[in-house]
Amino acid sequence: MAERVRNDMGGATAALDFDAELMLRVKEGDGASFSVLLEKHRSSVVHFLYRMIQNHAVAEELAQEVFLRVYRSRGTYEPTAKFTTWLFRIATHLALNSLRDGKNERSQERLDDDSSDMPGRQVSDRRPSVEQSLVYQAKLDEIRRAIAALPEKQRAAVLMHKYEEMEYSQIAKVLTCSESAVKSLLFRAYETLRARLAHMA
Amino acid sequence: MICPLENPENTQVLLDYGARKLDSAHTAILERHMEHCPSCREFAAGQRALCEAMDSWEAPPVSQDFNRRLYRRIDQEVSVWDMLARPFRPLFVRRGLPVAAAACLLVMAGVLIDQPPGSPAVSQKDMAQVESVQPEQVEQALDAMEMLSEFSHHVRSDGQESKL
Repeated sequence: MAERVRNDMGGATAALDFDAELMLRVKEGDGASFSVLLEKHRSSVVHFLYRMIQNHAVAEELAQEVFLRVYRSRGTYEPTAKFTTWLFRIATHLALNSLRDGKNERSQERLDDDSSDMPGRQVSDRRPSVEQSLVYQAKLDEIRRAIAALPEKQRAAVLMHKYEEMEYSQIAKVLTCSESAVKSLLFRAYETLRARLAHMA
Repeated sequence: MICPLENPENTQVLLDYGARKLDSAHTAILERHMEHCPSCREFAAGQRALCEAMDSWEAPPVSQDFNRRLYRRIDQEVSVWDMLARPFRPLFVRRGLPVAAAACLLVMAGVLIDQPPGSPAVSQKDMAQVESVQPEQVEQALDAMEMLSEFSHHVRSDGQESKL
């Protein structure tokens, strides 16, 4: 099976894509391989969707849909690209649709809340003062707002580049555009963010 | 080194440097360039500060019941198809499939015989409809096909069980 993945995808990178091998096993009816894929990619998909939508409940709902689609498509799966490219293409597609449908209207309201979605900053050795917490929350809200204000494709590109550490070529495949278009998207997005958050530096 | 800010294809070097994703060889080249390029120096410092600020945005942990909810949805999907298929199962297994296959063959043969020899196979209107199909429609159709194949798989496996 590994040989088949190598042949289908070509090159050393493809040979390393163990996920595609797992997905081929899922195709052959191996449920345990699906569990491995779910464990491996669940957090990154949920976190990406959370940062796109900025609503934890909606992000988890969309992530469920992503993995459900992966499971449904197992019969027709062909390893023509990296598994994560395919996974994030589904996730991005669902996130963009959700944003366009306005399903996450609550997210913008949440930004005005006390950000109860957010995990508490883990400070094990010393507790931050109330003032420090407020400053931290204000800073975080500004970052969230600045990212939320980016055009959808720029936002997706920044999140994949910054938080998912994807390569330009992979982001290009997820967003179905050229690598130079991705570089341009990222340059403009970071430029906007730098301008909006310059006072934080 | 050509100034990355003067070459749009090369600006990613500065973005990657700011995100600490640039390999050591390229980092050394860029740092040598920045020693005498204030614009790049300023850009890189701003980018690094931005990336450090963005690092503070942590996503909340995934709910503990995420997997349980997902597997429940998968099971429900399978059981809904199973429930819908149950009343028709004997028909499909014993008589339905051969009858349906024969009916399909007859319809196809009829269409082929009825078609005048000179008529174009697909009209321009039909072609325009095909071209206007949206990717979402294709995706939905593929999902439906996937469901149908799962359905027929269930019917087949149940048929084999009933034979046993």
